[in-house]
Amino acid sequence: MMRIRSVAHNQLSSNTKVQWTPPFRMLHCLVMESPRGRSGGARPLLSIVDDDESVRESLPDLIREFGFAARAFSSAQEFLSSGTLHETSCLILDIAMPGMTGPELQQELKDRGQEIPIVFITAQRNERIRDRVLRQGATALLLKPFTDAALLAAIKTALQAG
Amino acid sequence: MEEQVEDPAQETRRLQRCLNDLVSLLALPAIWRAGEPSQIVQTLLDVLLRTLNLEFACVRLEDAFGPMPVEMLRVAEPGKINLRPEQLNNILRRSFGAQSQGPPAQGPYHSGIEDISMFPVPLGVQGEIGLIVVGSGRANFPSQIESLLLSVAANQATLGLQDAKLLCEQKRVADELDRQVTERTRALAATNRELRKQIVERKKKEEELRLNEEALRLGEERWRSVFENSAVGVALSDLHGRFIATNPVYQNMLGYTEDELQQLTFLDITHEEDAEHNRSLIGELLEGKRQQFQIEKQYRRKDGQPVWVRNNVSVVPGTDRMPRFLMALSEDITQRKLSEEALARARSELANVARITSLGVLTASIAHEVNQPLSGIITNASTCLRMLSADPPNIDGARETARRTIRDGNRASEVISRLRTLYTKREPALESMDLNEATREVIALSLSELQRNGVILRQELARDLPLVVGDRIQLQQVILNLIRNAAEAMRTIHDRPRDLLIRTERDGDNRTRLNVRDSGVGFAPQDADKMFAAFHTTKTDGMGIGLSISRSIIEAHQGYLWATPNDGPGSTFSFSIPCWRGGLAAAEIPVTRADSSTDAA
Repeated sequence: MMRIRSVAHNQLSSNTKVQWTPPFRMLHCLVMESPRGRSGGARPLLSIVDDDESVRESLPDLIREFGFAARAFSSAQEFLSSGTLHETSCLILDIAMPGMTGPELQQELKDRGQEIPIVFITAQRNERIRDRVLRQGATALLLKPFTDAALLAAIKTALQAG
Repeated sequence: MEEQVEDPAQETRRLQRCLNDLVSLLALPAIWRAGEPSQIVQTLLDVLLRTLNLEFACVRLEDAFGPMPVEMLRVAEPGKINLRPEQLNNILRRSFGAQSQGPPAQGPYHSGIEDISMFPVPLGVQGEIGLIVVGSGRANFPSQIESLLLSVAANQATLGLQDAKLLCEQKRVADELDRQVTERTRALAATNRELRKQIVERKKKEEELRLNEEALRLGEERWRSVFENSAVGVALSDLHGRFIATNPVYQNMLGYTEDELQQLTFLDITHEEDAEHNRSLIGELLEGKRQQFQIEKQYRRKDGQPVWVRNNVSVVPGTDRMPRFLMALSEDITQRKLSEEALARARSELANVARITSLGVLTASIAHEVNQPLSGIITNASTCLRMLSADPPNIDGARETARRTIRDGNRASEVISRLRTLYTKREPALESMDLNEATREVIALSLSELQRNGVILRQELARDLPLVVGDRIQLQQVILNLIRNAAEAMRTIHDRPRDLLIRTERDGDNRTRLNVRDSGVGFAPQDADKMFAAFHTTKTDGMGIGLSISRSIIEAHQGYLWATPNDGPGSTFSFSIPCWRGGLAAAEIPVTRADSSTDAA
């Protein structure tokens, strides 16, 4: 597997123009309001790690509609340094990302002894990677685009496993 | 002899003495033989003085005898009478003075001095040799005997002098002959030397001439040989285009013999389509507007078959003996032309193959590009439904998610339309275009793939880049190919950033350049050309025709595509194509034939 470096937009030099089509609103780490306020009890926190902004934008809303708390991170490094590692009940993880890839993060967590249930999401079908991550203990691998039902089912399985 | 005989004894003695004297005189010629006239005269005078007991004897010779004095005087010593010199001079002047009027009269004539009897004796029958005058103090001088002796002596002297004169003349003639011979010999020797010198010079000149002729002959032979054995056709023609001489290659190329060609002009065998252009180029050549020209054109062989040739035509200046003429070096490029046509077809086919190949290889990328927005759409739509179904419904949230759904839908639509444009086969379309914009579109398509490969992309697109002319899709394929190659070259790099820099810039006044610089594995300089060969690949997958096709496309745009190793790690691939100059002619893509006449001067 390739090593992937992470590139954040603000790391690009000023004379560099990266044209995104269509341009996205510049959103960084989205910190969601705590779900505790609504039900009174602690809801499981689901952390989403994906370099695709539209996923970070849309998925937390859906997960909250499921009734869970959600936080989104644009890279594995950002997640690892966020301090939410121990609160996270389930990780929804992209496979191909700049810098550390999803499977690499899976290995990293395993190396640290942090066995968090992982639901992988990817836009590319790759049976080899799929087999590997499942063998490494991932709960599920969902191909984008996936239905909300499929996601909910995978999350429930993950939480039961956790 | 009227003297009386007085005494017989005395008379006998006298007669005896007379005989002795006669014998002496007759012996004189023996003494004179081979003598000089002066010696003869002197001897004669001396003998007369002594024999006749004279006071003096003198002689005058009429003819010049060379160095001999003309007159001579001998005087007895001591004389019986004492003659003073002036007296003697007078006597002589008187005696010889009359001589010019003729011979002196015979007999004694008066000397003007009482005691002297003078007697003239002519030399020669008419005195033509000269005159002897003798003088004696005796009154009866000369006696009969003395007269006899005198005349005998004069005869002898005449004979001697005539001999001497003859001898002298002979000698003179001989001397003259000698002189003339000597002179002639000298002249002859000089002439001889001159002749010898001339012969040597002539020989030298003849040798020089022979060497010159040899050199000329060799030169002529060499040029003839060059002409006959040249690998290209050579044709010489007059200014009207009529063939003067052609070499075997030229004749074989056209299927005509030399004699047949000499009945033709090159326009007779030139294809009608090329004739006018050809004629005008010749015109410019003859007017001195060009030194030479090159033309690619079609000839018709004798058997009717077309032959493609490339001709280099020039005017060979005339000399005083030879008018100027046209020379064409003619190369048969039929095979090349056929190959070019085949290549153009193959290029077109390959370009299509490349498109399909790229499509296949990029399927994953396409899936990613399309699935990302699709994923967003479904997620947002699901969220939206759930928000609306909630109690109470979350209308604001639903509106926001619906908005995102539409946006992602548009995004997916754009991706698909770009892909459709990129992978639809169509004929090359030339247009003026913004290379930066075309580059941005390719980058947008490639970005996610690059990110997945951990590539850090930087763009430096020149702000004031002029428009270029070309086929937008083909150029985008080239850019895409270069980007994919760069990513591929950095796939195995783990110890340094995978930097990819895409830069556009002006390249001189009327060209635009695009560089794709990576920090990958680079290439060995010796592979620089091989990389562009069709089917050369270092990859385990793919068809490896990307760079070859890319180069074909760029060259069809009158451009260049090349690769250079970086100072640091990696390599840079660049292409340079002409800017748009307000018309499309500048970069017209040659499909079948190009007007390749160029003025090389």
